[in-house]
Amino acid sequence: MLDTRPRLLSVGTAHPPEGYSQEDLVARYDVPDPRIRSLFKSAHIMNRYLYLPEANEDGVPDESQGELLEKHRRGAMEIGPQAVKRCLDPMEMGVEDIDYLCCITTTGFMAPGLTAHLIKEMGFREDCARVDIVGMGCNAGLNGLNPVVNWAMANPGKNALMVCMEVCSAAYVFDGTMRTAIVNSLFGDGSAAVLVRTDPKDDKRFAGKVLGFNSQIIPPAIGAMRYEWDGEQSKFSFFLDRDIPYVVGANAEKPVDRLLEAHGLKRRDISHWIVHSGGKKVIDAIKYNVGITEHDVRHTTSVLRDFGNLSSGSFLFSYQRLMDEGVVRRGDYGVLMTMGPGSTIETALVRW
Amino acid sequence: MGYETLSFEESDGIATITLNRGGHNRISMRMVRDLTAVCNHLEDHSDAKVVAFRGSGGTFSEGMDFEDFDPKVPLDIHGFNKWEKCCTRLERLPKATVALVDGPAVGGGFQIALACDLRIATSRASFQLPETHLGFLPGMATFRLAKYVGLGHAKRIMLTAEVVDSGTAATLGIVDRIDNDLDAGLAWAVEALGPNHSVAVELTRRLLNESFHTAYENAIGHFLAAQHRAISQTAFLDTLKKERGD
Repeated sequence: MLDTRPRLLSVGTAHPPEGYSQEDLVARYDVPDPRIRSLFKSAHIMNRYLYLPEANEDGVPDESQGELLEKHRRGAMEIGPQAVKRCLDPMEMGVEDIDYLCCITTTGFMAPGLTAHLIKEMGFREDCARVDIVGMGCNAGLNGLNPVVNWAMANPGKNALMVCMEVCSAAYVFDGTMRTAIVNSLFGDGSAAVLVRTDPKDDKRFAGKVLGFNSQIIPPAIGAMRYEWDGEQSKFSFFLDRDIPYVVGANAEKPVDRLLEAHGLKRRDISHWIVHSGGKKVIDAIKYNVGITEHDVRHTTSVLRDFGNLSSGSFLFSYQRLMDEGVVRRGDYGVLMTMGPGSTIETALVRW
Repeated sequence: MGYETLSFEESDGIATITLNRGGHNRISMRMVRDLTAVCNHLEDHSDAKVVAFRGSGGTFSEGMDFEDFDPKVPLDIHGFNKWEKCCTRLERLPKATVALVDGPAVGGGFQIALACDLRIATSRASFQLPETHLGFLPGMATFRLAKYVGLGHAKRIMLTAEVVDSGTAATLGIVDRIDNDLDAGLAWAVEALGPNHSVAVELTRRLLNESFHTAYENAIGHFLAAQHRAISQTAFLDTLKKERGD
Protein backbone atom coordinates (compact mmCIF):
# COMPACT_ATOMS: atom_id res chain seq x y z
CA MET A 1 0.00 0.00 0.00
CA LEU A 2 2.69 2.46 1.06
CA ASP A 3 4.66 1.94 -2.11
CA THR A 4 1.92 3.38 -4.29
CA ARG A 5 2.13 6.72 -2.50
CA PRO A 6 3.87 9.55 -4.35
CA ARG A 7 6.92 11.34 -3.08
CA LEU A 8 7.76 15.01 -2.77
CA LEU A 9 11.01 14.67 -4.70
CA SER A 10 12.28 18.22 -4.84
CA VAL A 11 11.29 21.73 -3.78
CA GLY A 12 12.47 24.97 -5.35
CA THR A 13 11.68 28.48 -4.17
CA ALA A 14 12.14 32.01 -5.49
CA HIS A 15 11.33 35.58 -4.52
CA PRO A 16 11.54 39.03 -6.14
CA PRO A 17 14.97 40.70 -6.19
CA GLU A 18 14.15 43.55 -3.80
CA GLY A 19 13.89 42.88 -0.07
CA TYR A 20 12.52 45.38 2.44
CA SER A 21 12.59 45.64 6.20
CA GLN A 22 9.43 46.92 7.87
CA GLU A 23 11.27 50.18 8.59
CA ASP A 24 12.13 50.51 4.88
CA LEU A 25 8.43 50.40 4.05
CA VAL A 26 7.39 53.01 6.58
CA ALA A 27 10.18 55.23 5.25
CA ARG A 28 9.28 54.58 1.62
CA TYR A 29 5.70 55.80 1.82
CA ASP A 30 4.04 58.55 3.77
CA VAL A 31 2.39 56.84 6.76
CA PRO A 32 1.06 59.53 9.10
CA ASP A 33 -1.03 57.27 11.37
CA PRO A 34 1.11 56.22 14.37
CA ARG A 35 -1.04 53.10 14.89
CA ILE A 36 -0.15 51.95 11.39
CA ARG A 37 3.51 52.84 11.87
CA SER A 38 3.59 50.74 15.03
CA LEU A 39 2.08 47.78 13.16
CA PHE A 40 5.27 47.71 11.12
CA LYS A 41 7.45 47.62 14.24
CA SER A 42 6.67 44.12 15.49
CA ALA A 43 9.72 41.93 15.39
CA HIS A 44 8.27 38.74 13.95
CA ILE A 45 8.78 39.94 10.36
CA MET A 46 12.25 41.29 9.58
CA ASN A 47 12.23 41.18 5.81
CA ARG A 48 9.91 40.72 2.85
CA TYR A 49 10.54 40.57 -0.88
CA LEU A 50 8.04 42.69 -2.76
CA TYR A 51 7.32 44.29 -6.10
CA LEU A 52 6.80 47.88 -4.98
CA PRO A 53 6.21 51.03 -7.02
CA GLU A 54 7.78 54.38 -6.23
CA ALA A 55 5.64 56.76 -4.19
CA ASN A 56 3.62 59.32 -6.14
CA GLU A 57 3.69 63.06 -5.34
CA ASP A 58 1.43 62.41 -2.33
CA GLY A 59 3.97 59.96 -0.94
CA VAL A 60 1.88 56.84 -1.51
CA PRO A 61 1.89 54.00 -4.03
CA ASP A 62 -0.62 54.67 -6.74
CA GLU A 63 -1.44 51.60 -8.83
CA SER A 64 -4.77 50.98 -10.53
CA GLN A 65 -6.40 47.54 -10.35
CA GLY A 66 -5.27 47.06 -13.96
CA GLU A 67 -1.68 47.84 -13.04
CA LEU A 68 -1.86 45.52 -10.04
CA LEU A 69 -3.12 42.66 -12.24
CA GLU A 70 -0.34 43.30 -14.72
CA LYS A 71 2.18 43.34 -11.85
CA HIS A 72 0.84 39.97 -10.72
CA ARG A 73 1.27 38.44 -14.19
CA ARG A 74 4.73 39.92 -14.66
CA GLY A 75 5.90 39.03 -11.15
CA ALA A 76 4.54 35.50 -11.33
CA MET A 77 6.33 35.01 -14.63
CA GLU A 78 9.59 36.14 -13.03
CA ILE A 79 9.57 34.16 -9.77
CA GLY A 80 7.54 31.15 -10.98
CA PRO A 81 10.08 30.01 -13.61
CA GLN A 82 12.94 30.51 -11.13
CA ALA A 83 11.22 28.28 -8.56
CA VAL A 84 10.52 25.65 -11.25
CA LYS A 85 14.14 25.64 -12.37
CA ARG A 86 15.44 25.38 -8.80
CA CYS A 87 13.06 22.47 -8.22
CA LEU A 88 14.00 20.55 -11.38
CA ASP A 89 17.76 21.28 -11.66
CA PRO A 90 18.80 19.11 -8.69
CA MET A 91 16.81 16.25 -10.26
CA GLU A 92 18.61 16.88 -13.59
CA MET A 93 15.22 17.34 -15.15
CA GLY A 94 13.75 19.99 -17.40
CA VAL A 95 10.24 21.27 -18.01
CA GLU A 96 9.97 18.90 -21.00
CA ASP A 97 9.89 16.05 -18.47
CA ILE A 98 6.75 17.37 -16.76
CA ASP A 99 3.50 15.56 -17.56
CA TYR A 100 1.11 17.42 -15.26
CA LEU A 101 1.29 21.02 -14.12
CA CYS A 102 -0.73 22.62 -11.32
CA CYS A 103 -0.41 26.35 -10.73
CA ILE A 104 -1.78 28.06 -7.65
CA THR A 105 -2.43 31.73 -7.08
CA THR A 106 -4.81 33.94 -5.18
CA THR A 107 -3.22 37.31 -5.79
CA GLY A 108 -4.33 37.83 -9.40
CA PHE A 109 -6.79 36.55 -11.98
CA MET A 110 -6.33 35.89 -15.67
CA ALA A 111 -7.54 33.62 -18.45
CA PRO A 112 -5.84 31.63 -19.69
CA GLY A 113 -4.37 30.87 -16.30
CA LEU A 114 -0.81 30.78 -15.04
CA THR A 115 -0.28 27.20 -16.29
CA ALA A 116 -0.71 28.37 -19.90
CA HIS A 117 1.63 31.30 -19.36
CA LEU A 118 4.24 29.16 -17.60
CA ILE A 119 4.10 26.53 -20.36
CA LYS A 120 4.59 29.19 -23.04
CA GLU A 121 7.31 31.00 -21.08
CA MET A 122 9.34 27.91 -20.19
CA GLY A 123 8.64 25.54 -23.07
CA PHE A 124 6.81 22.68 -21.38
CA ARG A 125 5.56 19.93 -23.73
CA GLU A 126 2.34 20.64 -25.61
CA ASP A 127 0.72 17.53 -24.13
CA CYS A 128 1.38 18.63 -20.56
CA ALA A 129 -1.88 18.25 -18.64
CA ARG A 130 -2.69 21.19 -16.40
CA VAL A 131 -4.93 22.66 -13.75
CA ASP A 132 -5.11 26.14 -12.23
CA ILE A 133 -6.22 26.60 -8.64
CA VAL A 134 -7.21 30.22 -8.20
CA GLY A 135 -8.57 32.17 -5.28
CA MET A 136 -8.28 29.64 -2.47
CA GLY A 137 -5.83 31.65 -0.37
CA CYS A 138 -3.05 30.67 2.01
CA ASN A 139 -4.33 27.12 2.45
CA ALA A 140 -4.33 26.46 -1.31
CA GLY A 141 -0.96 24.72 -1.42
CA LEU A 142 -2.47 21.68 0.26
CA ASN A 143 -5.76 21.95 -1.66
CA GLY A 144 -3.56 21.77 -4.75
CA LEU A 145 -1.24 19.07 -3.48
CA ASN A 146 -4.20 16.73 -2.91
CA PRO A 147 -5.19 16.41 -6.63
CA VAL A 148 -1.53 16.52 -7.68
CA VAL A 149 -0.79 13.58 -5.40
CA ASN A 150 -3.86 11.74 -6.68
CA TRP A 151 -2.81 12.37 -10.29
CA ALA A 152 0.66 11.09 -9.50
CA MET A 153 -0.82 7.96 -7.90
CA ALA A 154 -3.00 7.34 -10.95
CA ASN A 155 -0.07 7.86 -13.31
CA PRO A 156 2.93 6.01 -11.87
CA GLY A 157 6.27 7.00 -13.32
CA LYS A 158 4.94 10.34 -14.60
CA ASN A 159 6.07 13.70 -13.28
CA ALA A 160 3.67 16.16 -11.67
CA LEU A 161 4.75 19.67 -10.79
CA MET A 162 2.89 22.05 -8.49
CA VAL A 163 3.87 25.71 -8.54
CA CYS A 164 2.57 28.27 -6.05
CA MET A 165 3.00 31.80 -7.40
CA GLU A 166 1.92 34.61 -5.14
CA VAL A 167 2.51 38.28 -5.79
CA CYS A 168 0.86 39.56 -2.64
CA SER A 169 2.11 43.07 -3.45
CA ALA A 170 -0.42 42.95 -6.30
CA ALA A 171 -3.16 42.69 -3.68
CA TYR A 172 -2.13 45.83 -1.82
CA VAL A 173 -4.57 48.63 -1.24
CA PHE A 174 -3.03 51.73 0.29
CA ASP A 175 -5.92 53.66 1.82
CA GLY A 176 -4.69 54.63 5.27
CA THR A 177 -7.00 52.21 7.12
CA MET A 178 -5.92 49.62 9.67
CA ARG A 179 -7.68 46.99 7.59
CA THR A 180 -5.33 47.38 4.65
CA ALA A 181 -2.32 48.21 6.83
CA ILE A 182 -2.58 44.79 8.49
CA VAL A 183 -2.49 43.15 5.07
CA ASN A 184 0.28 45.44 3.81
CA SER A 185 2.46 44.69 6.86
CA LEU A 186 2.11 40.90 6.66
CA PHE A 187 2.26 39.45 3.16
CA GLY A 188 5.28 38.91 0.93
CA ASP A 189 5.88 37.78 -2.63
CA GLY A 190 7.28 34.35 -3.41
CA SER A 191 6.97 31.21 -5.46
CA ALA A 192 7.54 27.57 -4.57
CA ALA A 193 7.53 24.52 -6.81
CA VAL A 194 7.38 20.86 -5.78
CA LEU A 195 7.93 17.80 -7.93
CA VAL A 196 5.66 14.83 -7.17
CA ARG A 197 6.03 11.31 -8.58
CA THR A 198 5.04 7.74 -7.81
CA ASP A 199 7.88 5.49 -8.83
CA PRO A 200 9.37 2.51 -6.99
CA LYS A 201 12.69 3.56 -8.52
CA ASP A 202 12.59 6.56 -6.17
CA ASP A 203 12.64 4.31 -3.09
CA LYS A 204 16.33 4.96 -2.57
CA ARG A 205 15.83 8.72 -2.66
CA PHE A 206 15.34 10.48 0.64
CA ALA A 207 12.00 12.13 -0.04
CA GLY A 208 8.75 12.34 1.89
CA LYS A 209 5.83 10.19 0.79
CA VAL A 210 2.41 11.79 1.04
CA LEU A 211 0.18 9.34 2.91
CA GLY A 212 -3.06 11.30 3.14
CA PHE A 213 -4.95 14.53 3.64
CA ASN A 214 -7.62 15.86 5.94
CA SER A 215 -9.61 19.08 5.66
CA GLN A 216 -11.55 21.23 8.08
CA ILE A 217 -13.80 23.97 6.79
CA ILE A 218 -15.44 26.30 9.30
CA PRO A 219 -18.59 27.63 7.56
CA PRO A 220 -19.61 30.12 10.29
CA ALA A 221 -16.26 31.86 9.75
CA ILE A 222 -16.74 32.26 5.98
CA GLY A 223 -16.22 36.00 6.29
CA ALA A 224 -13.14 35.95 8.53
CA MET A 225 -10.67 36.10 5.60
CA ARG A 226 -11.96 37.47 2.32
CA TYR A 227 -10.73 39.09 -0.86
CA GLU A 228 -13.47 41.36 -2.12
CA TRP A 229 -14.16 44.37 -4.27
CA ASP A 230 -13.67 47.76 -2.63
CA GLY A 231 -15.83 50.12 -4.70
CA GLU A 232 -14.34 53.21 -3.14
CA GLN A 233 -10.79 52.26 -4.07
CA SER A 234 -11.87 50.39 -7.24
CA LYS A 235 -9.62 47.54 -6.18
CA PHE A 236 -9.82 44.09 -4.74
CA SER A 237 -9.01 44.33 -1.06
CA PHE A 238 -8.09 41.62 1.41
CA PHE A 239 -9.73 41.55 4.82
CA LEU A 240 -8.44 39.72 7.87
CA ASP A 241 -10.74 39.47 10.89
CA ARG A 242 -9.03 39.96 14.25
CA ASP A 243 -10.53 36.71 15.53
CA ILE A 244 -8.84 34.51 12.88
CA PRO A 245 -6.22 33.12 15.26
CA TYR A 246 -8.94 32.01 17.66
CA VAL A 247 -11.20 30.55 14.96
CA VAL A 248 -8.25 28.62 13.58
CA GLY A 249 -7.01 27.62 17.03
CA ALA A 250 -10.38 26.31 18.19
CA ASN A 251 -10.61 24.02 15.14
CA ALA A 252 -6.98 23.07 14.65
CA GLU A 253 -7.10 19.77 16.51
CA LYS A 254 -9.95 18.35 14.47
CA PRO A 255 -8.27 17.72 11.10
CA VAL A 256 -4.99 16.78 12.79
CA ASP A 257 -6.67 14.14 14.94
CA ARG A 258 -8.68 12.74 12.01
CA LEU A 259 -5.60 12.65 9.79
CA LEU A 260 -3.54 10.83 12.41
CA GLU A 261 -6.32 8.48 13.48
CA ALA A 262 -6.78 7.33 9.88
CA HIS A 263 -3.18 6.15 9.99
CA GLY A 264 -3.19 4.80 13.54
CA LEU A 265 -0.90 7.57 14.76
CA LYS A 266 -0.79 9.87 17.78
CA ARG A 267 0.53 13.40 17.86
CA ARG A 268 3.60 12.17 19.73
CA ASP A 269 4.46 10.04 16.67
CA ILE A 270 4.93 13.17 14.57
CA SER A 271 8.55 14.30 14.43
CA HIS A 272 8.09 17.29 12.12
CA TRP A 273 5.40 19.94 11.83
CA ILE A 274 5.29 22.16 8.76
CA VAL A 275 2.77 24.88 9.52
CA HIS A 276 1.84 27.75 7.22
CA SER A 277 3.52 31.01 8.29
CA GLY A 278 0.21 32.86 8.58
CA GLY A 279 1.24 35.37 11.22
CA LYS A 280 2.48 35.36 14.77
CA LYS A 281 -0.92 35.04 16.45
CA VAL A 282 -2.14 32.24 14.23
CA ILE A 283 1.11 30.32 14.77
CA ASP A 284 0.64 30.74 18.55
CA ALA A 285 -2.93 29.49 18.21
CA ILE A 286 -1.72 26.34 16.46
CA LYS A 287 1.04 25.80 19.03
CA TYR A 288 -1.19 26.01 22.08
CA ASN A 289 -4.15 24.15 20.62
CA VAL A 290 -2.33 21.31 18.88
CA GLY A 291 0.20 21.14 21.71
CA ILE A 292 3.34 21.66 19.65
CA THR A 293 6.37 23.66 20.66
CA GLU A 294 8.34 26.68 19.51
CA HIS A 295 10.93 24.21 18.25
CA ASP A 296 8.30 22.36 16.21
CA VAL A 297 7.39 25.58 14.40
CA ARG A 298 10.95 26.91 14.06
CA HIS A 299 10.84 26.91 10.27
CA THR A 300 7.33 28.37 10.26
CA THR A 301 8.51 31.32 12.35
CA SER A 302 11.82 31.75 10.50
CA VAL A 303 10.05 31.79 7.12
CA LEU A 304 7.63 34.38 8.50
CA ARG A 305 10.59 36.42 9.77
CA ASP A 306 12.51 36.28 6.49
CA PHE A 307 9.71 36.46 3.92
CA GLY A 308 6.43 37.46 5.62
CA ASN A 309 3.30 35.46 4.81
CA LEU A 310 3.86 34.05 1.32
CA SER A 311 0.33 32.69 1.08
CA SER A 312 -0.02 29.34 -0.74
CA GLY A 313 3.69 28.58 -1.18
CA SER A 314 4.72 29.43 2.36
CA PHE A 315 4.64 25.87 3.73
CA LEU A 316 6.96 24.70 0.95
CA PHE A 317 9.55 27.29 2.02
CA SER A 318 9.37 25.73 5.51
CA TYR A 319 9.50 22.22 4.03
CA GLN A 320 12.66 23.18 2.14
CA ARG A 321 14.25 24.57 5.33
CA LEU A 322 13.42 21.36 7.19
CA MET A 323 15.02 19.24 4.47
CA ASP A 324 18.09 21.51 4.34
CA GLU A 325 18.47 21.22 8.11
CA GLY A 326 19.34 17.54 7.75
CA VAL A 327 17.56 16.32 10.90
CA VAL A 328 14.84 14.29 9.19
CA ARG A 329 15.43 10.56 9.41
CA ARG A 330 14.03 7.71 7.38
CA GLY A 331 10.74 6.56 8.90
CA ASP A 332 9.93 9.94 10.48
CA TYR A 333 6.40 11.26 10.13
CA GLY A 334 5.54 14.87 9.40
CA VAL A 335 2.32 16.85 9.32
CA LEU A 336 1.82 19.68 6.84
CA MET A 337 -0.76 22.24 7.87
CA THR A 338 -2.12 25.31 6.07
CA MET A 339 -4.84 27.75 7.06
CA GLY A 340 -6.80 30.28 5.05
CA PRO A 341 -10.11 31.62 3.77
CA GLY A 342 -13.18 29.45 4.11
CA SER A 343 -12.24 29.52 6.88
CA THR A 344 -10.21 26.41 6.29
CA ILE A 345 -7.50 24.27 7.83
CA GLU A 346 -5.86 21.75 5.51
CA THR A 347 -3.54 18.97 6.64
CA ALA A 348 -1.40 16.31 5.02
CA LEU A 349 0.62 13.43 6.44
CA VAL A 350 4.11 12.73 5.12
CA ARG A 351 6.52 9.93 5.88
CA TRP A 352 10.17 9.91 4.94
CA MET B 1 0.99 -4.33 31.15
CA GLY B 2 4.38 -5.95 30.98
CA TYR B 3 6.39 -3.33 32.86
CA GLU B 4 9.61 -4.87 34.18
CA THR B 5 11.00 -2.02 36.20
CA LEU B 6 7.94 -0.42 37.72
CA SER B 7 4.47 -1.23 38.90
CA PHE B 8 1.42 0.64 37.76
CA GLU B 9 -1.95 0.84 39.35
CA GLU B 10 -4.93 3.04 38.84
CA SER B 11 -7.94 3.60 41.05
CA ASP B 12 -10.30 6.43 42.04
CA GLY B 13 -8.85 8.75 39.42
CA ILE B 14 -5.29 8.32 40.65
CA ALA B 15 -2.61 6.49 38.68
CA THR B 16 0.40 5.42 40.72
CA ILE B 17 3.72 4.50 39.16
CA THR B 18 6.12 2.84 41.58
CA LEU B 19 9.71 2.53 40.45
CA ASN B 20 10.46 -1.03 41.40
CA ARG B 21 13.80 -2.38 40.40
CA GLY B 22 16.44 -4.12 42.50
CA GLY B 23 19.52 -2.00 43.15
CA HIS B 24 17.70 1.04 44.50
CA ASN B 25 15.47 1.67 41.50
CA ARG B 26 18.35 2.77 39.35
CA ILE B 27 17.29 4.02 35.93
CA SER B 28 18.08 1.60 33.12
CA MET B 29 17.10 1.91 29.46
CA ARG B 30 14.43 -0.66 30.23
CA MET B 31 13.02 1.70 32.86
CA VAL B 32 13.10 4.55 30.33
CA ARG B 33 11.11 2.36 27.94
CA ASP B 34 8.68 1.38 30.70
CA LEU B 35 8.16 5.00 31.74
CA THR B 36 7.58 5.97 28.12
CA ALA B 37 5.05 3.16 27.75
CA VAL B 38 3.30 4.37 30.91
CA CYS B 39 3.08 7.85 29.36
CA ASN B 40 1.50 6.32 26.24
CA HIS B 41 -1.03 4.49 28.39
CA LEU B 42 -1.82 7.57 30.48
CA GLU B 43 -2.31 9.71 27.37
CA ASP B 44 -4.38 7.21 25.41
CA HIS B 45 -6.41 5.11 27.80
CA SER B 46 -6.47 6.55 31.30
CA ASP B 47 -9.18 8.56 33.03
CA ALA B 48 -6.90 9.31 35.97
CA LYS B 49 -6.69 12.99 36.89
CA VAL B 50 -3.62 12.69 39.09
CA VAL B 51 -0.46 10.70 38.44
CA ALA B 52 1.79 9.85 41.39
CA PHE B 53 5.41 8.68 41.15
CA ARG B 54 6.92 6.68 44.01
CA GLY B 55 9.90 4.45 44.69
CA SER B 56 9.84 1.01 46.26
CA GLY B 57 11.97 -0.20 49.15
CA GLY B 58 12.66 3.11 50.86
CA THR B 59 14.44 4.69 47.88
CA PHE B 60 12.91 6.93 45.24
CA SER B 61 15.74 6.26 42.78
CA GLU B 62 19.53 6.23 43.07
CA GLY B 63 19.86 7.58 39.52
CA MET B 64 21.35 6.18 36.36
CA ASP B 65 22.30 2.52 36.22
CA PHE B 66 25.94 2.36 35.09
CA GLU B 67 25.63 -1.42 34.66
CA ASP B 68 23.42 -0.63 31.70
CA PHE B 69 26.39 0.54 29.61
CA ASP B 70 27.65 -2.35 27.49
CA PRO B 71 31.47 -2.25 27.59
CA LYS B 72 31.58 -3.76 24.09
CA VAL B 73 29.55 -0.92 22.58
CA PRO B 74 31.07 2.52 21.91
CA LEU B 75 29.52 5.25 24.07
CA ASP B 76 27.03 7.51 22.39
CA ILE B 77 24.49 10.12 23.36
CA HIS B 78 21.30 8.40 22.14
CA GLY B 79 20.34 6.81 25.46
CA PHE B 80 20.65 10.19 27.17
CA ASN B 81 18.40 11.65 24.48
CA LYS B 82 15.77 8.96 25.08
CA TRP B 83 15.87 9.63 28.80
CA GLU B 84 15.44 13.39 28.39
CA LYS B 85 12.56 12.82 25.98
CA CYS B 86 10.99 10.58 28.61
CA CYS B 87 11.33 13.34 31.26
CA THR B 88 9.69 15.81 28.87
CA ARG B 89 6.83 13.37 28.29
CA LEU B 90 6.34 13.08 32.08
CA GLU B 91 6.48 16.85 32.41
CA ARG B 92 3.83 17.39 29.73
CA LEU B 93 1.35 14.67 30.72
CA PRO B 94 -2.24 15.87 30.36
CA LYS B 95 -2.77 15.20 34.09
CA ALA B 96 -1.49 16.71 37.30
CA THR B 97 1.66 14.90 38.48
CA VAL B 98 2.95 14.40 42.01
CA ALA B 99 6.29 12.96 43.09
CA LEU B 100 6.09 11.14 46.44
CA VAL B 101 9.69 10.92 47.60
CA ASP B 102 10.94 8.67 50.36
CA GLY B 103 14.68 8.06 50.70
CA PRO B 104 17.21 9.27 48.14
CA ALA B 105 16.22 10.86 44.84
CA VAL B 106 19.53 10.97 43.02
CA GLY B 107 20.37 12.13 39.48
CA GLY B 108 17.58 11.05 37.18
CA GLY B 109 15.43 10.30 40.23
CA PHE B 110 15.72 13.95 41.25
CA GLN B 111 14.86 14.91 37.69
CA ILE B 112 11.65 12.86 37.68
CA ALA B 113 10.65 14.81 40.79
CA LEU B 114 11.48 18.12 39.10
CA ALA B 115 9.39 17.14 36.07
CA CYS B 116 6.33 16.71 38.32
CA ASP B 117 3.88 19.46 39.24
CA LEU B 118 4.15 18.84 43.01
CA ARG B 119 6.73 17.14 45.25
CA ILE B 120 5.85 15.63 48.60
CA ALA B 121 8.67 14.15 50.66
CA THR B 122 9.17 12.28 53.90
CA SER B 123 11.73 13.50 56.41
CA ARG B 124 13.91 10.60 55.19
CA ALA B 125 13.95 11.96 51.66
CA SER B 126 17.04 13.54 50.13
CA PHE B 127 17.93 15.04 46.79
CA GLN B 128 21.28 14.93 45.06
CA LEU B 129 22.84 15.57 41.66
CA PRO B 130 26.29 13.96 41.92
CA GLU B 131 26.96 13.79 38.18
CA THR B 132 29.64 16.47 37.87
CA HIS B 133 31.69 14.62 40.51
CA LEU B 134 31.42 11.53 38.35
CA GLY B 135 32.56 13.32 35.21
CA PHE B 136 29.29 13.85 33.37
CA LEU B 137 26.32 16.18 33.49
CA PRO B 138 23.15 16.14 35.58
CA GLY B 139 20.92 15.95 32.51
CA MET B 140 18.35 18.62 31.86
CA ALA B 141 18.19 19.24 35.58
CA THR B 142 20.64 21.90 34.39
CA PHE B 143 17.60 23.46 32.71
CA ARG B 144 14.97 22.75 35.36
CA LEU B 145 16.53 23.12 38.79
CA ALA B 146 17.48 26.81 38.68
CA LYS B 147 13.87 27.67 37.91
CA TYR B 148 12.88 26.18 41.27
CA VAL B 149 15.74 27.37 43.44
CA GLY B 150 17.55 30.19 41.59
CA LEU B 151 20.92 30.07 39.90
CA GLY B 152 23.08 30.26 43.03
CA HIS B 153 21.51 27.30 44.82
CA ALA B 154 21.42 25.32 41.57
CA LYS B 155 25.16 25.86 40.98
CA ARG B 156 26.00 24.81 44.53
CA ILE B 157 23.76 21.73 44.42
CA MET B 158 25.20 20.57 41.10
CA LEU B 159 28.86 21.46 41.56
CA THR B 160 29.23 20.31 45.17
CA ALA B 161 27.00 17.23 44.78
CA GLU B 162 25.43 18.31 48.08
CA VAL B 163 22.88 15.95 49.58
CA VAL B 164 19.86 18.17 50.12
CA ASP B 165 17.73 16.90 52.99
CA SER B 166 13.98 17.22 52.77
CA GLY B 167 13.79 20.16 55.21
CA THR B 168 16.29 22.15 53.16
CA ALA B 169 14.57 21.07 49.96
CA ALA B 170 11.31 22.45 51.33
CA THR B 171 12.99 25.75 52.24
CA LEU B 172 14.51 26.01 48.76
CA GLY B 173 11.15 25.37 47.07
CA ILE B 174 11.99 21.94 45.72
CA VAL B 175 9.61 20.16 48.08
CA ASP B 176 6.06 21.44 48.52
CA ARG B 177 5.13 19.47 51.62
CA ILE B 178 6.76 17.15 54.09
CA ASP B 179 4.66 14.23 55.25
CA ASN B 180 5.98 10.95 56.60
CA ASP B 181 2.77 9.31 55.48
CA LEU B 182 2.98 9.60 51.70
CA ASP B 183 -0.52 8.18 51.23
CA ALA B 184 -1.81 11.04 53.36
CA GLY B 185 0.45 13.40 51.39
CA LEU B 186 -1.06 12.20 48.13
CA ALA B 187 -4.58 12.60 49.54
CA TRP B 188 -3.67 16.18 50.48
CA ALA B 189 -2.39 16.83 46.92
CA VAL B 190 -5.49 15.39 45.28
CA GLU B 191 -7.67 17.55 47.54
CA ALA B 192 -5.49 20.63 47.02
CA LEU B 193 -5.50 20.25 43.24
CA GLY B 194 -9.27 20.63 43.45
CA PRO B 195 -11.31 20.07 40.31
CA ASN B 196 -8.04 19.75 38.40
CA HIS B 197 -9.24 20.67 34.88
CA SER B 198 -6.72 19.02 32.60
CA VAL B 199 -6.59 21.73 29.89
CA ALA B 200 -6.15 24.46 32.50
CA VAL B 201 -3.45 22.45 34.29
CA GLU B 202 -1.60 21.58 31.11
CA LEU B 203 -1.60 25.10 29.69
CA THR B 204 -0.79 26.86 32.97
CA ARG B 205 2.11 24.50 33.52
CA ARG B 206 3.33 25.01 29.95
CA LEU B 207 3.26 28.81 30.22
CA LEU B 208 5.11 28.61 33.56
CA ASN B 209 7.74 26.27 32.15
CA GLU B 210 8.24 28.62 29.21
CA SER B 211 8.19 31.80 31.28
CA PHE B 212 11.90 32.00 32.09
CA HIS B 213 13.04 32.02 28.49
CA THR B 214 10.22 33.83 26.70
CA ALA B 215 10.11 37.57 26.08
CA TYR B 216 6.99 39.25 27.43
CA GLU B 217 5.96 40.32 23.92
CA ASN B 218 5.88 36.66 22.88
CA ALA B 219 4.52 35.35 26.18
CA ILE B 220 1.43 37.57 26.02
CA GLY B 221 0.57 36.08 22.62
CA HIS B 222 1.09 32.57 23.98
CA PHE B 223 -1.10 33.38 26.97
CA LEU B 224 -3.94 34.71 24.78
CA ALA B 225 -3.83 31.64 22.55
CA ALA B 226 -3.83 29.37 25.62
CA GLN B 227 -6.55 31.36 27.41
CA HIS B 228 -8.78 31.11 24.34
CA ARG B 229 -8.34 27.36 24.39
CA ALA B 230 -9.20 27.25 28.10
CA ILE B 231 -12.35 29.38 27.86
CA SER B 232 -13.56 27.21 24.98
CA GLN B 233 -13.64 24.15 27.25
CA THR B 234 -16.73 22.93 29.11
CA ALA B 235 -15.00 23.50 32.46
CA PHE B 236 -15.04 27.28 32.01
CA LEU B 237 -18.46 27.32 30.36
CA ASP B 238 -19.82 25.43 33.39
CA THR B 239 -18.14 27.91 35.71
CA LEU B 240 -19.80 30.78 33.84
CA LYS B 241 -23.22 29.13 34.12
CA LYS B 242 -22.72 28.53 37.82
CA GLU B 243 -21.36 31.98 38.62
CA ARG B 244 -24.06 33.73 36.62
CA GLY B 245 -26.74 31.44 38.03
CA ASP B 246 -27.96 30.42 34.56
